Amino acid sequence: MRKSLSGTRIREQRRKAKLTQKALAEQSGISASYLNLIEHNRRAVAGKVLLAIARVLDVPASSLSDGVDSAKISDLHEAAAHHPVIGAEVVGIEELAGRFPGWAGMIAALYRQTRDQEAAITALSDRLTHDPFLAESLHGMLSNITAIRSTSNILENIEDIEPEKQARFHTIIHEESRRLTDSAQSLVKYFDKKADPKAGIATPQEELDSFLERHNYSFPQLDNLGEAPASNIEIAYLVNRIMAEDGGLDNPETNRLVTEFLQSYAQDALAIPHSDFSKTARRKNYNPAAVAQAFGTSLHTAFRRLAYQDPGQTAAPPMGLIISNAAGRALFRRPIADFAFPRHGNACPLWPLFQSFSTPELPVAALLELPGQHKFIGLAIAEAQSAAEFGRPSELNAAMLIIHYEQRALFSDWLPELGAAQPIGITCRICPRSDCAARTEPQILGEEAVVGSS
Amino acid sequence: MAKRVLIVEDEPNIVESLRFLLEREALDVAVQSDGNMAVESVRATLPDLVILDVMLPNRSGFDILRDLHEMPGTMPKVLVLTAKGQARDRFTAEEIGVDLFMTKPFSNKEIVSNILGLLA
Repeated sequence: MRKSLSGTRIREQRRKAKLTQKALAEQSGISASYLNLIEHNRRAVAGKVLLAIARVLDVPASSLSDGVDSAKISDLHEAAAHHPVIGAEVVGIEELAGRFPGWAGMIAALYRQTRDQEAAITALSDRLTHDPFLAESLHGMLSNITAIRSTSNILENIEDIEPEKQARFHTIIHEESRRLTDSAQSLVKYFDKKADPKAGIATPQEELDSFLERHNYSFPQLDNLGEAPASNIEIAYLVNRIMAEDGGLDNPETNRLVTEFLQSYAQDALAIPHSDFSKTARRKNYNPAAVAQAFGTSLHTAFRRLAYQDPGQTAAPPMGLIISNAAGRALFRRPIADFAFPRHGNACPLWPLFQSFSTPELPVAALLELPGQHKFIGLAIAEAQSAAEFGRPSELNAAMLIIHYEQRALFSDWLPELGAAQPIGITCRICPRSDCAARTEPQILGEEAVVGSS
Repeated sequence: MAKRVLIVEDEPNIVESLRFLLEREALDVAVQSDGNMAVESVRATLPDLVILDVMLPNRSGFDILRDLHEMPGTMPKVLVLTAKGQARDRFTAEEIGVDLFMTKPFSNKEIVSNILGLLA
């Protein structure tokens, strides 16, 4: 398991504040030997002690806790694993992030940039190979060229052509040349658009994620649909208007995903109108089961309404969400800080999301712990997507709502006893849990990362 | 008696130049531009050779080629002519069974000479 870095940060802040260990320990109400152990990352620090130390150092407690660096450390581990010949000292990554956060941030940012560019190249290559527009355009252009070449060759090499036929062949050359020009111009426009650095290149799923991020995962235009009856035509009009006003959607596959998402959002808003939802959710202490019961909806609908909110516009706690089909494909993703969803490849099979498939319609609540000691509450349920029919298996989707464990006091009246934290990861490739029985592929962090854990 | 050629191709201007070239060689030329009707046209015209485009409206040239192989009676010679020149398309055509595979754009001299060679 990854070493806690809070001690290293406390030591750096203490030195900046020009305090001795003894002075900081005294003012924080702990012994100097205990502080020494904390500063060397041999004792975890949290709660009142962390708050006391932060108060003396005059810094926010969050800047000393582990949450701030987990993504950065993951990126540094991945960077080291991607360039094994450089021989980066993997055992020193936590130390680097703790003592030199700026340099560590820069390495992580450069690595992320390289990784994103690699993904962009892959996406571009994929697009060049499979893009229907390109395939059709190139096929059309080759047909135009074939007609021009063959016809002009006839005119050049065959002398005894009737005048009418000759005129006809000239017309063909003219027509096909014009078509060829049009096709070439539309291709140039297409590539000009794709070359726009602001547009970037991403997979349709990533473009959907960016679209949702641009809108803070919330669509007030649809939120109040349930207040008055709305027809499918009205919903389609609103969905089209949101997409047109966004101005950043030009890939047909992305448009399909965005339309599906917004249609689903609109259906959820019809089932649970925003004004009633805000009041009810607050009154029920954000209990998804109580919200679902109050509006007579499925838990998945309540999950989506709870997760898809603009954090700046509501007092509700932030909630992450992932919905997957039985094949493990993520259908909806609403990220939450410190709980990364894998961009490529499969997620950790230990997530309650996947375990809920074995007990359909049974809600599961679990305390989850990621490497780095971040704790989350995971609420999951697998639900049938259509009414049961004899002779036809139900299509199941599973959803998992993810809540920061630190927020648990808000849910104390309904949250069941969670028991011991279940160790989980993000995805096997970057998970340092070497003894995990659920591992499906080797980790790329290298052995040292595991040896360096404590 | 003139040999019969069926051109299965949806680009009318390519058809026009091919028809002109083949009729100058005293071949009897018929044309079908709809993929769904291609097999029926073969049944109706009994050509000695079919020039078959791969990307056709309604039906792929490869599917038509498979159907031709399953048809009872003498199989006509088939020249697959396509803008899809990738190795896998050539492989697919050869696996199903084809006499010649040519890519667009073609040389008039070469295509006429190949067709006459197949019909000889």
